[in-house]
Amino acid sequence: METTDFSQPIRQSSKGIIIIFAFNTFNFFKKFFVLFIAFGVSIMRRKTFGGITPTMMLLGLVAVLIIILIIAILKYLNFKFYLNKDDFHLATGIINKDNTIIPKSKIQNVYIKQNFLQQLINVVSVKIETAGDKKSEIEISALDKPTALLLKKKLFTKATIENDQEEYIDDTEVFFKVTPKRLLLEGLSQNHFKSFLLIFTFAFGLYNEFKDFLEALELEKHIDDFVKLDEHTILNLIITNVIIVVVVILISFLFSVVKTFIINFNLEVVEHQKTIEINKGLFNKVSLSLTPSRIQNLVITTNRVKQYFNLHSLSVKQAMVNVKQQKNFKIVALEKEQLNYLVNKLLITYNGEGEPGKPRPYFMRISALEMLVFGIVINGLSVFFFGVQMLLINTIFIPFAVLYVYFAFKKAYYIISDDFVTIGSGVIDTTTNILEIHKIQAVKIKQTIFQNRRRIASVVISTASKSVTIPYVSKSEALAIYNFLLFKVESQDKDWM
Amino acid sequence: MNFTNLQIQTENLPKVEGLVLKPISKSYFKIIMLNKLAIYAGLIGLVFGLKYVIEKKEEVQLNLYYMLSAVVVFCIFNFIVSLLAFKKRKYAMREHDVVYAKGLIVHSITTVPISRIQHVEESRSWLARYFGLSTLKIFTAGEAGSDLSIKGLPHLEAKQMKEIISDKVNGNN
Repeated sequence: METTDFSQPIRQSSKGIIIIFAFNTFNFFKKFFVLFIAFGVSIMRRKTFGGITPTMMLLGLVAVLIIILIIAILKYLNFKFYLNKDDFHLATGIINKDNTIIPKSKIQNVYIKQNFLQQLINVVSVKIETAGDKKSEIEISALDKPTALLLKKKLFTKATIENDQEEYIDDTEVFFKVTPKRLLLEGLSQNHFKSFLLIFTFAFGLYNEFKDFLEALELEKHIDDFVKLDEHTILNLIITNVIIVVVVILISFLFSVVKTFIINFNLEVVEHQKTIEINKGLFNKVSLSLTPSRIQNLVITTNRVKQYFNLHSLSVKQAMVNVKQQKNFKIVALEKEQLNYLVNKLLITYNGEGEPGKPRPYFMRISALEMLVFGIVINGLSVFFFGVQMLLINTIFIPFAVLYVYFAFKKAYYIISDDFVTIGSGVIDTTTNILEIHKIQAVKIKQTIFQNRRRIASVVISTASKSVTIPYVSKSEALAIYNFLLFKVESQDKDWM
Repeated sequence: MNFTNLQIQTENLPKVEGLVLKPISKSYFKIIMLNKLAIYAGLIGLVFGLKYVIEKKEEVQLNLYYMLSAVVVFCIFNFIVSLLAFKKRKYAMREHDVVYAKGLIVHSITTVPISRIQHVEESRSWLARYFGLSTLKIFTAGEAGSDLSIKGLPHLEAKQMKEIISDKVNGNN
């Protein structure tokens, strides 16, 4: 196998031209999409537009494409990178030359990604992320896979531990590989409320579009019959409604399953000596590495159905990872033992022990209040749009609200041990949030003017990736937690990264 | 290891509740007041403008006094709340952290350990310069939620705090 020498400035694979070209073309069309439509329509109508004929338009389009191609080639020619002992150097820019230098020690993450086009021409893109702002991200869009892997490894190995490299390779093993069956279960057991709502609104939108058409089908008459409470039509209507609901539910199931499959296709967790690597994706293949010291929060989610199938997901929150990328740090369909193993790998001393504390019953009052507001809005809307009969919705809504309040309170707890904070929450899902105390960035006590009288307060704990809240504990408890966490953070000389 | 153990420990821990928080400079209230007055003037102007536009277009008589009194009541209420809230704006600096408390309706006390601060910034608007005040902005690595911005500090004190924090942050690294 030929190895690439990174110490000399090199270009990416020449296929990079295609990638850059495709990317720029796509962006160009996205930007001027509306303009194109407008032009297209007016030309269709009048054959000419200000003396411009369709042929001229076509020629113009070709010219634009050629310009984009030339830009792509120039970009490719001017894109060079090399590695020396501790830094990564990158030179870009056609007219304005940019020189970027990233010290190896400041690199947060290296992703290897492969979108559909890149899969077709068999290249991968390498993304290098530092802890700085979003602009400091670097993407090399076309490298062949062995080169990319080598580059990634070189970026992660510091000059001093170059000798350990062989050992480093030997220790990798595929720890977890998802089976299609478990992915299917994962997709099926998801919280369908979101996709249900999405599809429902979509269907509702469609219905509004085709309203005239449906009116032609004399639906109006059916509704009139319904008001008359004719037994036969009621039965019909109920059947139609049930069919509609079942179809929507089926579609939302399908939607969830397909989505899960596309995102998590061939999900694989590879265990290295110190890091963990995640590989997944069907159209967009991604490969990510997790370093324990970079992890800020761990979020474990499951729900009743998933628990039955022994399915757990683990999200890893890192500092400064942009929102889009954040989603990729999720490992789904883990078994309980695998989950525990992974958690222990990432947080070495974590054992989940400690005495759990509960929020005050005041928590239920707030949830109930939320539900009340929600209920008023729902009732108001349905009465406004569909008339007084829709008050029947409360027969479904009230039990739902009661269950919501009950489960929200039941599932809320917190554990504070010597090194970790664990917070449980969720209603339909069961969510467990784990963070290491020395990674805390700030602590806040929050209390509304009404809570002041009841001596209740909430504690908000911020890390570099997200904030979590211990809701509605008694003021003295909140202060004790507050003081303890601050004491822990300030007395230890541990770095957060 | 567990929380009950902690309860005994807490007796000896440094307490935030015993901390004497320092109120921010009184002249900062003048800045708040000026800002508020500008907003109120805008609102009242809007009422007159609205009346003028609507009555010209349609033949609807809007009761100017009702609208005006509603707006004025809102302004007075808002003013009282901001006056009371102003008294809640307090800060303190301890050996290892910076504490900032604010808010009347939602009161919050935020503490940022100095070892977690990425950088400090002291900024002054032209109004603040006139009153000799400045704003101390403290940035951590976290999301926006964990950053502090202490407004209305006396200029000298803000400068000193900035120096102290910078020194400590750089000393730690």
